[in-house]
Amino acid sequence: MPVTIIPRPPLADHRLALVLAEDRIGHYPEFRAFFSRAFDLDRVGLAEPGYVAAPSGLAYALVFIGRSGEPWPAGVEVFAIVPALEPIDEPTVDRDLWAILDWMIEGVGGEWTTRDLQATGRLYRIPPATT
Amino acid sequence: MIDLPESIRARWPFRPRFARVNGWRMHYIDEGAGDPVVLLHGNPTWGFLYRDFVALLTASGRRVIVPDMIGFGLSEKPTREEAHSLDGHIANLTGLLRGLDLTRATIVGHDWGGPTGLGFALANRQRVRALALMSTWAWPLPPSEFHTRIFPWRLMHAPLVGPYLLGRHNALAGRGVYLSVVDRERFRRESQAAYEAVLPDPATRLLTWTWPRWIPLDGDGRAVQRFRWLEDGLRSSTWPTLLVWGREDDVFDHGVFAARFKELLPHAEGPHLVTGRHFLQEDSGPEIAARLVDFLDRLDRTEGRR
Repeated sequence: MPVTIIPRPPLADHRLALVLAEDRIGHYPEFRAFFSRAFDLDRVGLAEPGYVAAPSGLAYALVFIGRSGEPWPAGVEVFAIVPALEPIDEPTVDRDLWAILDWMIEGVGGEWTTRDLQATGRLYRIPPATT
Repeated sequence: MIDLPESIRARWPFRPRFARVNGWRMHYIDEGAGDPVVLLHGNPTWGFLYRDFVALLTASGRRVIVPDMIGFGLSEKPTREEAHSLDGHIANLTGLLRGLDLTRATIVGHDWGGPTGLGFALANRQRVRALALMSTWAWPLPPSEFHTRIFPWRLMHAPLVGPYLLGRHNALAGRGVYLSVVDRERFRRESQAAYEAVLPDPATRLLTWTWPRWIPLDGDGRAVQRFRWLEDGLRSSTWPTLLVWGREDDVFDHGVFAARFKELLPHAEGPHLVTGRHFLQEDSGPEIAARLVDFLDRLDRTEGRR
């Protein structure tokens, strides 16, 4: 199952578990442009997170961060949406995050390719890239 | 406080010291007596990189100071990217070295220890006696060819990829250093754990993907003005300088980077080429330390101190 953008999933009896944070989403501006495009952020602003479904079936919330004096969005936090009282399954989350990164690179496009991302993952022996 | 494995502690037996600098808690060692030699590491290492230098330098009659950059080693590790900047790190180092009231210091810089150490030197000229530089740079452009590549460098620290690869998986302190030494098996067996142990959790690894984002790739880079100031200052400096480079360095190729330092500092000695990639101290630590001692001994004789 590929990563797909989804409407807000049911959140009752669930919690948002922070699994990845990025303070500088515009370090390469094309990444900021991708998220703005994908989630219509110039219109939506801070009103609600973006949501994606990942290969495991888990949903993730992407919470965008604004910072005075910097283009919007300045950062993003990725939360796994999990049963409220259950610990996360780390290998599952790790594989999902790798898939989300792959989806992001595909969307950024241009000189950024999923082939290079996968090669980078293999070079550094990241489990989701090597199994 | 990080509890170093006993095998690492045995190879880094120095008394830990801490100083409050520029609002942060900095770890350093201060061994021996004599003219001070300040050994500065870069990303993602810590003082351990210089373990083979300390005894040789103190035995030669010198005081050795090895700080861990804020964000690395046994120093405090800020958890927000905005806590880090090149100017801030120069100010951190300045806080320590002024606090110790060092004079006649030899500044030894590797990787980001180069720009930070040179920043201190140029802003505190009266405290500095000599320089030694290894696998580093001090000008805005052009970047190294390695730093312009998408694979693996720019992808490794790209938005979200950096916090994942270098944060969750500690890719730079583990596999990254491993790939940038010549004798990889020895490094894996003897030293890799020392670099991984001091960055135990993703939040402690922030600087490993923040520093790469401070390397100027074009004229819009955040540190361009500071690097221009470094380059201009070096060009007019007359400090005795030693250049040591790894023959196999594929991050700061000696044919480009050591040559550029030689052009900026025509009076510099070297570059002396040793076995080594970017982390040349791992492959040739005792040899580089001996060269540094010889360089300083000759400097002493020139000044009539020995």
